[in-house]
Parts: sequence; C-alpha cells; structure tokens
Amino acid sequence: MSRKVAIIGVGITPFRARYLDKTYFELAYDATKLALEDANNNGAEITHHNLESTVYVINSYIGMNNKPGTRIASGGATGGYTVRMAYSEVASGLSDLCLCLGVEKCNDCYDEQTGVTTPEVLNAIAYSADMTYEYPMGMMAASSYVSMVNAHYEEFGNPTEEQMAHVSVKNHGNAMLNPKAQSPMKITVEDVINSRIICYPFKMLDCCLYSEASAALILASEEKVRELKIEKPIWITGVGAANTDCFIGNREDMGRLYSNIHAAKAAYKMAELDYNKIKSQIDLAELHDAFSGQEVISYEELGFVPFGEGGSWIEKTFEKSGEGPWLDGELPCCPSGGLIGCGHAVGATGIMSTGEAAFQLRGEAGKHQVSIEKGRAISHSIGGPGAAYAAIIVMANEEGLK
Amino acid sequence: MTENFQDHQIRDAIKINYKYTMGGQSKFFIEVMKNKKLFGTKCTKCGKTWMPPRINCSDCYEPADWVELNQTGIIQVSTIVWYTTSAFIKAIPYGIGFIKLDGAETALFQGIFSENLVPSKIKKGKRVKAVFNKEREGKMTDFFFVPEDEYENWISKPEYEGGV
Repeated sequence: MSRKVAIIGVGITPFRARYLDKTYFELAYDATKLALEDANNNGAEITHHNLESTVYVINSYIGMNNKPGTRIASGGATGGYTVRMAYSEVASGLSDLCLCLGVEKCNDCYDEQTGVTTPEVLNAIAYSADMTYEYPMGMMAASSYVSMVNAHYEEFGNPTEEQMAHVSVKNHGNAMLNPKAQSPMKITVEDVINSRIICYPFKMLDCCLYSEASAALILASEEKVRELKIEKPIWITGVGAANTDCFIGNREDMGRLYSNIHAAKAAYKMAELDYNKIKSQIDLAELHDAFSGQEVISYEELGFVPFGEGGSWIEKTFEKSGEGPWLDGELPCCPSGGLIGCGHAVGATGIMSTGEAAFQLRGEAGKHQVSIEKGRAISHSIGGPGAAYAAIIVMANEEGLK
Repeated sequence: MTENFQDHQIRDAIKINYKYTMGGQSKFFIEVMKNKKLFGTKCTKCGKTWMPPRINCSDCYEPADWVELNQTGIIQVSTIVWYTTSAFIKAIPYGIGFIKLDGAETALFQGIFSENLVPSKIKKGKRVKAVFNKEREGKMTDFFFVPEDEYENWISKPEYEGGV
C-alpha cells in the first residue's frame, strides 16, 4: 500500500518573455525559495536542508548536494511527469520531503537571421521530433498540434475557428487577474480571427508564447504533514500518464490523443472519480492549452463533455454565468490563464499548473480564485513529439477527501 | 542585491556533426535515392503495412518484410505553415501533411507542394503523387507530394522527375 502524499508548499516565479537578470540556476533558486516560504506560511518550519530529494537534477545552486536527484524529460508534459515521479518518491517511502522543480530559460536561444528568439526556440524544440522522417519536412510544435485539431475537425466539425478563438479570449482574459502571467489581454473573438496566420487554421492569438520561469512544489508524506503541522495540505489523490504513438501517421484516429484519454481514466480511477461524471466532481481544471484548439479537444478527451461537443460547450456559454469552462462557469478551465495567458515555460509549466490548482484548493489563488465546493481539481500536461505524452494529476483538499 | 542592474549577454552556438545510420531502414533510403521507389514493410504475422517502414512489427513483435508501395495516396490531414523554425523560415509558406499511400495502413509525413497552395487544394481526401528531385542523397527531402492533377507539370520542371 502506497503512502498518502500532499503538496505542502508552492513556489511560482512570474512568467516572462525574458529574464535578463536571472540565469537558469538563479530562477530555480527563486522558485525553490518561494516554495519553502509558502510551506512555512502553511505551518511548517523547514529550510532546504530538510528536503530529502529532488525530482529535477539541479542540486548545487539550490543547496541540495549529496542528495538524490532525478531528471525528467517529457517535452511539454515534463511538468506533469515530474509531479508524477515526485509523488512516487514520497508514496514509495524513498523520501519524506521531496522538491519537485521545473525551470525554463528557452529564450536564451537566438535566431541571428531574423534577429529574434522565437524561430530558434522553435527549432531547438523541433529537434525533439523524429529527426529522420519528420524534422527534415519542417515539423514543429504548431504543425503537430494543428494536424490533430484539423483531423478532429474533419471527424466532428469541431472545433471551428470561432470556437478556438473563444479559448483565446477566455485564457488571455483570465490572465488579466493573474499577476504572474505573461500575456494578460482583453480581446475579442474577432481580434483572434484577425491575428496573423501561423499554421492553418491557427492564428497568432491561438498559440501560447514561450516563457522563462520556474515552478516548484514541496511534496510530503502524511506522517510529515502531521509532524510539520501543515494547515492546508493538498493531497495528490490520482496520477495518470500515458504515451501514444509519436508518429501521428501511425495513429488509428489522428484527431484524438488517446494518451489524454488513458491518462485521465487512470488518474480518475486512482482518485475514485468517474470519467463520465468528472465535470461535476471537480472544481477546476488547469489544462495544457498550448494551442486553443487542443484545449477544446481536451474538454472531450478528459471526459468533461461528449466527443464533438467541446467547441459548442465554450462558444454557447460565452458571457453566461455558471456555465461552460469560463472563470465563473460550471467547470473553470485554466483560471490562471493557462499557457495561452501565462505563457509556456516548457519545463516548468505542468508544475505551475499543479501549483496553481493547489493554491485554488487552499482558497489562496488571489483575484482569479474560483468557487471551491467539492475540494477537488486536476492539472493536465501534454507534450513530446506529436504531443504524444500526457500526464494528469488529481488533487483534493481535506474537504475533497471526504 | 545590486543597484542599477546591467545585463550581460554572450553570443554562442552549439553545432554537432553526425553521420548516423538508418540501420534496418537503410533500404528505404537507398531505394528512394537510386531507384525512385517507395518501399514500406509488411508484418509477416498480422500483415500490417508500415510506412514509414519498420523492420519489426511493433504490434505483434514479429519481423516485417519489404514491400514496394504505390507512389500515389490520399491526404489524411494537412496544414500550411506561415511561421516556423529558424531552419525553415525561409521556406514559408509550405504545405505539409500525412499521406496514406495506396496499400499502406499508416500515413507518412511529407511536404505537399502545389502551384496554388491554399487549404482547399491540399485538404483531406485529395489524391497526391510523389515527385522526386533529380539530385538525390538518400534523405526524406529527396521527394515530396503534389496533387495528382499537377503531377505532369511538376515532373516537367528541370529539377524534378517522376518515380518509377
């Protein structure tokens, strides 16, 4: 029987296009320090000396020499997978206090020919695609996600360009309330539709921006939670992950990410929740909205609405309080602003979204706090070649355990 | 900590040269380069036809045999790229998509060229045919697909030719 595991501290740095005043290691230190301070505000009295292990192999700069550290590399799903492995460290008894850390400094890349960072960041990330069959054809993140979205549209007539644009309106809008977000914007569906084309039919405002940031969680065993007298532990009640075929062309249904479906079902089952009723069992979902169309498909794949109804779920509930995935909706999705609103600090994003969900369940999310009635939330990470990897974390506060 | 922070950035580059083997898949690239043929593989047990080829069937863990495929196929899904990586930014706009060759069960990711590159021209269900560069080096960039009704025009250009 595995041990219960809780998030006792969360540290998230602001998401920014560029930190000229921080290196990779300095950002990691900042998030770690914030997480320790948060744990201490949550009842603990600990320093970095009390941390027994890290999942992420930075040690020297954060004062963790001579302790175990494991690196996770799962593309955009790195954050979710890192939480999963940190959970395993504590649940298995290997560690009683584990630091789960993610850092991103991607905008150190620089494209000399255009004089900007983004094309070189895209290129560095595209190296994670298959180098023989796919990279030489110009494969990159947007073109792999857009392939799934276009195939989904062909099968279900959903999501339309307008429906995708609603996700952009929502997440940029939610980010207005999150002081750590990189892209707060009050925009309209027309603004999104009229923004420059990136990869048909994705427009610029359908896409997240690459960010630099760091995020850290401190995970503790139940015994440690009691010993440290933690006031608001957020229990990790379910972890699920799955990898589908990295070659999109090998997939039976190109318009579906079966990894999302399998990861969600595994995570919900572990948390004793029901895939078919999940929308009414959780208070919020921090989703992996690297591209607006993928968030719409995730509504379906994660069991919120039936297949083919994701687009209408967001479009028809626009400006209707208590409905849909909006901040004041029936199931707020990406209240933080998600990747589109906060930015995508690839190695840190899934840890940020898990930490954001934990803040929400503690009632300490700030201006973007949503109503917490059930005491449960999920975070969702996807990434890798063809967005093949998925990880889902289910969390609960003390009320949500009942 | 410090007042009047001033940043300092350094220009640098990482370049690594490779000479990596295509291993068991080598035949695919040799046939493209020398004979303008497209070879997939067929599982000796379940009969699934893999393209890109795999010499082992990942479904039933049995060997797969080489099988020559048609050079025509159907677009499963596609897009047109207008903003991209530093390595491809000079090529925009370009069409790419997943093409299921006639007789194959998996789809190959490839460039889709058209004299009139608009979404409707390269959408799902459109039939395409392979066109080869005259100068080939045994790489995926040795060939691409064009709409079947543009095929004759493309192979009449001096740098391209039709397959066998």
